[in-house]
Amino acid sequence: MIVTLNPKILHFSKLNPQSPRPRPSPRFHRTTNCKLQNPQDGNKTGSITKTISLSDSAPPVTESSSVKGGGNGGGGGGGGGGGFLKRLPRKVLSVLSNLPLAITEMSTIAALMALGTVIEQGETPEFYFEKYPEDSPVLGFFTWRWIFALGFDHMYSAPIFLGMLALLAASLMACTYTTQIPLVKVARRWSFMKSDESIKKQDFAESLPRASIQDLGVILMGDGYEVFMKGPSLYAFKGLAGRFAPIGVHIAMILIMVGGTLSATGSFRGSVTVPQGLNFVMGDVLAPIGFLSVPTDSFNTEVHVNRFTMDYYDSGEVSQFHSDLSLRDLNGKEVVRKTISVNDPLRYGGVTIYQTDWSFSALQVSKDGEGPFNLAMAPIKINGDKKLYGTFLPVGDTNAPNVKGISMLARDLQSIVVYDLEGKFAGIRRPNSKLPIEIDGMKIVIEDAIGSTGLELKTDPGVPVVYAGFGALMLTTCISYLSHSQIWALQNGTTLVVGGRTNRAKNEFPDDMNRLLDQVPELIKTSVD
Amino acid sequence: MIFSILEHILTHISFSVVSIVLLIYFLTLLVNLDEIIGFFDSSDKGIVITFFGITGLLFTRWIYSGHFPLSNLYESLIFLSWAFAIIHIVSYFNKNKKNHLNAITAPSAIFIQGFATSGLLNNMPQSAILVPALQSQWLMMHVSMMILGYGALLCGSLLSIALLVITFRKVGSTFWKNNMKNKMLLNELFSFDVLYYINERNSILIQQNINFSFSRNYYRYQLIEQLDYWSFRIISLGFIFLTVGILSGAVWANETWGSYWNWDPKETWAFITWTIFAIYLHIKTNRNARGINSAIVASLGFLLIWICYFGVNLLGIGLHSYGSFTSN
Repeated sequence: MIVTLNPKILHFSKLNPQSPRPRPSPRFHRTTNCKLQNPQDGNKTGSITKTISLSDSAPPVTESSSVKGGGNGGGGGGGGGGGFLKRLPRKVLSVLSNLPLAITEMSTIAALMALGTVIEQGETPEFYFEKYPEDSPVLGFFTWRWIFALGFDHMYSAPIFLGMLALLAASLMACTYTTQIPLVKVARRWSFMKSDESIKKQDFAESLPRASIQDLGVILMGDGYEVFMKGPSLYAFKGLAGRFAPIGVHIAMILIMVGGTLSATGSFRGSVTVPQGLNFVMGDVLAPIGFLSVPTDSFNTEVHVNRFTMDYYDSGEVSQFHSDLSLRDLNGKEVVRKTISVNDPLRYGGVTIYQTDWSFSALQVSKDGEGPFNLAMAPIKINGDKKLYGTFLPVGDTNAPNVKGISMLARDLQSIVVYDLEGKFAGIRRPNSKLPIEIDGMKIVIEDAIGSTGLELKTDPGVPVVYAGFGALMLTTCISYLSHSQIWALQNGTTLVVGGRTNRAKNEFPDDMNRLLDQVPELIKTSVD
Repeated sequence: MIFSILEHILTHISFSVVSIVLLIYFLTLLVNLDEIIGFFDSSDKGIVITFFGITGLLFTRWIYSGHFPLSNLYESLIFLSWAFAIIHIVSYFNKNKKNHLNAITAPSAIFIQGFATSGLLNNMPQSAILVPALQSQWLMMHVSMMILGYGALLCGSLLSIALLVITFRKVGSTFWKNNMKNKMLLNELFSFDVLYYINERNSILIQQNINFSFSRNYYRYQLIEQLDYWSFRIISLGFIFLTVGILSGAVWANETWGSYWNWDPKETWAFITWTIFAIYLHIKTNRNARGINSAIVASLGFLLIWICYFGVNLLGIGLHSYGSFTSN
């Protein structure tokens, strides 16, 4: 019969000192000098009929006499010899890789960011003088002097914030070097356990009275374990990637920080509002951001706005903007043509052109068949989502002191509201309808509405690095969820001692183990004799 | 028209079923447990019904609005309660592994659902049009990942809060004496924040169901261990969703606004939340650290999620303002 202990009872025994099977605490036990005690073992396990070849190609086992118990192997280790200079970096490393320090850094960064959302960013000094006056400080001490001394008016580029980020990056690297990599080395140094005691000291341990180690090996392989066997002992693991992944997370974070630094020092940016039909040169718009910003050849490219259109919902609200752009090189040859919209930028030679804004440039109007005249539209209200543009068509003597005329207002390119000479509402026309509107005997036709497209241009050398970091971070964070499980087993006569531990899914592990051990067949008595 | 009727029906079904489920939980508080064990099962089934109700609701909205139903606060709240329901169902089908998630998810789902459908967000339920920046495939990826992340992280941090409540109650309390229990329960009802109260109470009750014969002290120890462990697992999962959500948002921003990071308030708060839970996971790597330390960090994270999810929208500042109360 296979004894499968209820994991709850196992837990129980761990806690209760009166328990019949007291077990030592699984944490930080030392199992140095495991005795090699297997001369008798070999004789008894001789006649197991089934032979299964399991991982013959297993790498040579380092016959380490000491089996490392806890997963946290000591980092660094003997730094003997060497002068002070040699030891200093080591000291710095050990300070930087200190976990409480890293946690303090992260909390400080979080707090600074929170402060950055509370304090208004990028305002004029007068704003802060007024908002944080000296005679009534916020919280009793916080005045504009603090803000300017610490650079909190531009928090996310303030020296204190960037310094914290740099410190965190240093900690990340130090931690990876001194703690994570040794930890993986320990985890990879897979080793057999030579005694029942060391196996029973694992978080999960069990002994099966009549079972063979080969059967266990096959079952473990079926469950996705890598299984290694040598004589009467077995070692199996799965999910080693879960041990590597946190290193990947740290490297990805560093990649993102490096990319961010590149973006901050080597970018160009600029925005421009261009009426339909006009053009501009990229280099005129793009302004360098940092000291590493170097212009490229593509800055000579000329951008021509062929067409600017807006889509509308039935309710009249704007649904999308489109700009048909042509890029021309120095010889005037068209190299690229694309219709961009919000969410669909144009990329050429490292420069990205985004559709970000719009404006009303001009109205083409004909009067009594004359024209069309181009009337420039003036922005009347540009704040917020609801824009308003207006223009004026003078009627009669334009040199008179008080010119009368027709006013036209528009919120978008779709419909124009027309007011007569007295300022009374005269009607609404769509630009393409060709439907004349009659005011004081004049036939006014609104021929066309010409919009301007608001474009944003940017070059960013950091994006590929940052994207690489993003991809790595997503992948490694997911892999980090995997548990690294290790199982040891030792055939001791007909008894099979199994022990194992895992680093993350600790609660499910005993259940999984019991499920697997239930499958191990019971040996028939005769085959052992 | 037919869509809006269907949507109404589904809203009411899911809301009333989840109310009944909560009622059952309350009943089991007051009445002797052993007689009504069947109720627990029925409450799980109730959540399954709710889940299908909300799923139907989301699909209805998707079909008649023509875009993924995550464009405003109301829809994201509905999606959040859907996320709670799905977490509940996952733990329901893992029946052999008893955990306390059910006790967290069911009340959370009803509170979110109740808040979403309450009069507070009067004009929100109308499916709004999408502004140009939102018309992207990234909407689905970014917002659904963020909300799933919020859901899982809220569950995990609620478990941690339950752990804190249970731990700090330990000192010199006669609470565990049976005759005192019901009386205390009623007192506590008014002194504790209702949400924490229900969650914590239910987890105790479920646990009692299982280990009734165990000694109380041991049982409490094990309960704390269990809460610690499950909050760790759920937060790890939520952290993955949050990471993917933030990063996909950054890629989207690079396509739309011209920069992958703008220090927009919502972005910043999401990053702060991410940092807090990163701190939580780091504390967890230290084997000597007691569960309380990490639980305190997680309960701080609970607050931060709400600031990130609601607070920023409440003010309606920054580039993410289309999810705000005041928009349109």
